[in-house]
Amino acid sequence: MHIVYPVVVSALLFSIGVYGVLARRNAILVLMSVELMLNAVNLNLVAFDVWLRDRLHGGQVLTLFVIVIAAAEIGLGLAIVLAVYRNRQSIDVDRLRDLSETGASEEAGPPEEPVGVGEDADREARP
Amino acid sequence: MNGTIQAPTLEYAQLAPMLVVFGAAIVGVLVEAFAPRYLRSAIHVPITLLSLAGAFALTIWQVVKGVPTKPAAMGAVAVDGPSLFIWGTILVLAFVSVLLINDEDHFVAAAAAVPGSAEEEQALHEGAGHTEVYPLALFAVGGMLLFPASNDLLVMFVALEVMSLPLYLLCGLARRRRLLSQEAAVKYFLLGAFSSAFFLYGTALLYGYAGSIDLAKISAALGVVGGQETLLYIGVAMLGVGLLFKIGAAPFQAWKPDVYQGAPTPITALMASGTLVAAFGALLRVFWVALGGLDWNWSPVLWAVAILTMVVGAILAITQTDIKRMLAYSSIAHGGFLLVGVVATGAAAGQNSKALSAILFYLVAYGFTTVGAFAVVTMVRDAGGEAWHLSRWAGLGKRSPLLAGIFAFFLLAFAGIPLTSGFFGKYAVFQAAVAGGATPLVIVGVVASAVAAFFYVRVIVLMFFSDPAADGPSVVLPSRGTAAVVGVAVLATVFLGVFPQPVLHLAQNAAQSLFIR
Amino acid sequence: MELYVPILVLAVLAAGFAVFSVGIAPFTGPKRWNRAKLDAYECGIEPTPQPVGGGRFPLKYMITAMLFIVFDIEIIFLYPWAVAFDRLGVFGLVEMVLFIVTVLVAYAYVWRRRGLDWD
Repeated sequence: MHIVYPVVVSALLFSIGVYGVLARRNAILVLMSVELMLNAVNLNLVAFDVWLRDRLHGGQVLTLFVIVIAAAEIGLGLAIVLAVYRNRQSIDVDRLRDLSETGASEEAGPPEEPVGVGEDADREARP
Repeated sequence: MNGTIQAPTLEYAQLAPMLVVFGAAIVGVLVEAFAPRYLRSAIHVPITLLSLAGAFALTIWQVVKGVPTKPAAMGAVAVDGPSLFIWGTILVLAFVSVLLINDEDHFVAAAAAVPGSAEEEQALHEGAGHTEVYPLALFAVGGMLLFPASNDLLVMFVALEVMSLPLYLLCGLARRRRLLSQEAAVKYFLLGAFSSAFFLYGTALLYGYAGSIDLAKISAALGVVGGQETLLYIGVAMLGVGLLFKIGAAPFQAWKPDVYQGAPTPITALMASGTLVAAFGALLRVFWVALGGLDWNWSPVLWAVAILTMVVGAILAITQTDIKRMLAYSSIAHGGFLLVGVVATGAAAGQNSKALSAILFYLVAYGFTTVGAFAVVTMVRDAGGEAWHLSRWAGLGKRSPLLAGIFAFFLLAFAGIPLTSGFFGKYAVFQAAVAGGATPLVIVGVVASAVAAFFYVRVIVLMFFSDPAADGPSVVLPSRGTAAVVGVAVLATVFLGVFPQPVLHLAQNAAQSLFIR
Repeated sequence: MELYVPILVLAVLAAGFAVFSVGIAPFTGPKRWNRAKLDAYECGIEPTPQPVGGGRFPLKYMITAMLFIVFDIEIIFLYPWAVAFDRLGVFGLVEMVLFIVTVLVAYAYVWRRRGLDWD
């Protein structure tokens, strides 16, 4: 089989991932899209490894590292998203606007947010 | 499957600084696991500081013993002159940042608890804190050490993640303004993961092009492998995106203000100094060692990126009303000035070492000043925490002249006024760029510096020449750690501004050997 | 062909043993009724009641699941070593032991910080 097929499939997968990251508003779905991008890379690496007949299998070794690090990354990402969800009851990335040019940097407070449990204590801290 | 593999060897002596830092981080995890809660902080601080100091001593020993001329660890890690210089810089900056981290109750008591909940109250009452910040910071510092020294793309990717993953977490651990802090963590994480995926895709394509992920072998393949330029160009572009993101260069700068603002200030100091230094080291190594033969292709792109970065950083900083955001934009602008130095490389070897030494000196100067500036930010407090809004800083000079004077001094150093470290940094970089034929870039750089100076001076005017607000922020009495940090930063800024020669000399020596291939 | 005879014999023996054990058990084993035996089997712990509405799991599963996945995937590094352990020699063994010790440190942290507690 020609190398073009896996490379094109991987490019498509990567593009789908990029689209997902840019278009999705749910943080979990964004994480899944990032995983898709990483897996596109894995496919690419393994295909190149076979195509190049790499004696030391650099591509496959790199794939292993990517898999492991992606797992660590996703665990960490879920933990962060979970912490945000507990405070905000929402993981919509478009609503994370407290930190932005028009948000906290202005004199006025941040735009209205879904009020989570016990958020008031945190709100007091704002100027 | 049946190829012969010689058993690999590791040069432990050369890798010792990193091993010490990672070892201490692992010991830190064990302390977290087994030490009783009230003892943890008391154990962590000496371990962390001693390991950083020990790693620094080992780095110095390495320099004294003679800089290695061959890559260590089967060609995976290059401990060369620039690496050692960058290691020393990062270790000192990390040491200072850890003093700042240690200083105050910057960190949340129970990250998983909702602010204001009973769990949170209980954790606060028990005096709990996430002492995990120390091992996490050590892991991040270890990654920062490995990142600029990595000599193949696999190690570089691992280092990138080891550096970034703890920082994502640390960003979300601020005790006050928790929502902002967590938002910063989410944004940093999502964008960071996105960019590292780009880095990886670039790595994969370069692997497909060159048949190896070793930087030197990629360089060797540049002239030999024909007919697959598409792979090469797309790969280089994507690799560049990943690296420029970490620096916060212009089209990829969006995360920087948000993250710098939301993260706990000591962590911001660590990121603004250590990560920037490490990322520039890695960028230089990739573009010089692996892609040096391709500079006709990437140089124009970096020109554009450098111009855009300087302009965006300088202009957007003017509109900021938040002190941390302003410092973040200033950091973006400084990234642009440093990129001018990167563009200046690429010609003859002499020119290369000149540009390299300029960048190294600039990194040291900027790193110390920025840590000091953020240390000052931690000391100006409102009822609810640090006073970030610029209007709160009005009249600080009348209330606390010493602190305002120090901060003004740091701002002048950022602006590059003579007799501060920033001046010689900018001078060296711009001089190297002129020698490298990038005069138009230098003109843009000087104009951007002037614009940047405007908003630095505006803050100084605000502090000294406007009336303090009635309920203005109070300046907390600094703890010994913070006072030491500010003191070191002031001393370094003055020293590098008045007697830049020793450090400049050191940077030149480090750059002399260039990156080993 | 005779190369495969031992394998065939082994397969027959294994199948025979399985059929024999399962077939003989109802006739010989003691029968003591016990409520727990009728419950759904969830790895030996008491079954958690199904949440109302179905499909949503309590968050405590998430931590366990994440820990499982992270530790599970760490083991991936053993495969390349297993492929080439003879050629890597003592060096490979020492490095692998170091790696496992590092993972153990993480495990100790999780264990001491009650990451493994179910409730």
